[in-house]
Amino acid sequence: MDLLSNLALGFGVAFTFQNLMYALLGCMLGTLIGVLPGIGPVATIAMLLPITFHLPPTASLIMLAGIYYGAQYGGSTTSILVNLPGEAASVVTCLDGYQMARKGRAGAALSISAVGSFFAGTVGTAIIVMFAEPLTRMAQKFGPADYCSLMALGLVAAVILASGSVIKAIAMIFLGLLFGLVGTDVNTGAQRFTFDIPELSDGIDFAPIAMGLFGIAEIVVNLERHLTRTGGTIKVTSLWPTAEEIRRAIPAALRGTLLGSALGVLPGGGPTLGAFSAYTLEKKVSKNPSEFGKGAVEGVASPEAANNAAAQTSFIPMLTLGIPSNAVMALMVGAMIIQGIQPGPEVMTKKPDLFWGMIASMWIGNAMLVIINLPMIGMWVKLLTVPYRFLAPAILLFCCIGAYSLQNSTFHVMQVAVFGILGYIFVRLGCEGAPFLLGLVLGPQMEEYFRRAMLLSRGDPMVFLERPISLGLLITTSLLLILMALPSFKRARQEAFQEEG
Amino acid sequence: MNRFLSKDFLSGLMFIAFGLAALYFGQRLAVGTPVRMGPGYVPRMLSLILAGLGLLICIVAAVSGSEPVEKPKWKPITLVTIGVVAFALLFERAGLLPALVVLIMIASLANDEFKLTEVLGNMVVLAILCTLVFKVGLGMNISIVRGVW
Repeated sequence: MDLLSNLALGFGVAFTFQNLMYALLGCMLGTLIGVLPGIGPVATIAMLLPITFHLPPTASLIMLAGIYYGAQYGGSTTSILVNLPGEAASVVTCLDGYQMARKGRAGAALSISAVGSFFAGTVGTAIIVMFAEPLTRMAQKFGPADYCSLMALGLVAAVILASGSVIKAIAMIFLGLLFGLVGTDVNTGAQRFTFDIPELSDGIDFAPIAMGLFGIAEIVVNLERHLTRTGGTIKVTSLWPTAEEIRRAIPAALRGTLLGSALGVLPGGGPTLGAFSAYTLEKKVSKNPSEFGKGAVEGVASPEAANNAAAQTSFIPMLTLGIPSNAVMALMVGAMIIQGIQPGPEVMTKKPDLFWGMIASMWIGNAMLVIINLPMIGMWVKLLTVPYRFLAPAILLFCCIGAYSLQNSTFHVMQVAVFGILGYIFVRLGCEGAPFLLGLVLGPQMEEYFRRAMLLSRGDPMVFLERPISLGLLITTSLLLILMALPSFKRARQEAFQEEG
Repeated sequence: MNRFLSKDFLSGLMFIAFGLAALYFGQRLAVGTPVRMGPGYVPRMLSLILAGLGLLICIVAAVSGSEPVEKPKWKPITLVTIGVVAFALLFERAGLLPALVVLIMIASLANDEFKLTEVLGNMVVLAILCTLVFKVGLGMNISIVRGVW
């Protein structure tokens, strides 16, 4: 069986001492930033991108992936114990998790969430293994026009599934695409929007942009809001859930895993969407919905499983098609490019050790996280007592050093400052940073495919409608756009995100 | 109150401004034909669409209104930006330690609960941590204090 030999290869790579260490490091860092509010996986991965340049490709991707799913575990710990979501995806866990904790069931809530997450992570990893090959084979049939349409679909869908104003998000995509064009034109060598600054001729590096948009802007907003921590810490007694709690948690975790896995694959999907939808679903299928918000076991098990499953499956479009579905995946694409790997269907065939090694490491990482999180709960909770006034300057400092080390140039540090201001303006105007980042990452590739498609068709734009794959993708894209304009869908979308605000 | 000071209207203006700026600065780039696109083809297309979307957002906002913008607080964003710029200017000229001290100092001023002893403690911890991680651990080619180490 092909699948098994691939998995064996993957585990062989993942179980080397070096890769195990980087997986552990990633998981620890992820848990850490998951526990700390005010810094998320996007800013962390952006800060660490330059450093990964010094690491071997597989190790660096394993570590970055660990940060991403580790953050989901860490975020739930603080949600349950102190009613503070460390991550957006664990906001819903607060609703019932903290209530369970107040009833003295903190330990049970923690173990249900950790074991549920581990189960979901395992299923998510299995789904990646199953879908990776067929999707890759499909993607290899794609021509330039098909790719261009696929990217259009990916970008539009990413916007629709995210919260906030759709038209503003679409404008943000175009702004990102435009920023992506800065630098030397690959076909003619012409300098575009470089303003005679030599550092810009290679294009704008997106690590400083991500640090500015997601790191600096976030810090500034938190400083304005006086991020303070309230709510007493709850003592964890026994970690063992009762038989009744287990009986209620199992079906809920299963539903959450399924829903999360499905939503994670979609462009724009990911942990946050998965967790919110899973919570809504549980409330709908529950026999006594009034229990929700008062410590319902299902309200912890399902969203926690969903966010972890979604975190895993959101790797699928990035690994197989080279199309990132959210901001973290955009940075993973960046990490690959730094290592000289062009993300896309070729990764699996040309670098099977990296591809399967990374997937296998995710499962190992999930197992590590259960071990890191449950017995060491006390240590993570202590970290919460570090006040933000110590944290903010430290994050700033790491951003600056990270940006410098990208190319040993202070020019990139200046870029961080500039994009920090821009990011702050975006926040103030209610414009989302994630679509901008997606546009930025896909911009150069999309232009390349667009120009190649038009060249092949001798300038006839009809090529996008004549190729069946491209046509199908474009029809889906326009359907999504039409759907958005429908008032009933608009309302449903608002409802799905109402608990977020 | 004022529908022109709403989040949506202002972001529309921002998109228009970016679109027009891209058109202006990209005007020298050859557009070419659809078959042989010049370097300016895609930028021009994108900037026109962006400006168009901006206009649309402005019109919708002016007609149906949207959330008003919150009054920005100038202190955090200004101090954080100054801190990062100061770091950039000092890092190569003076070394990591002076740049770190200045950045932490300025960034801590952005917080209302400023206590000098705490900030000094934070500096010492971060200085040791950064030296260990970046200089010793990762072996990066940076000087801690220019000319000394």
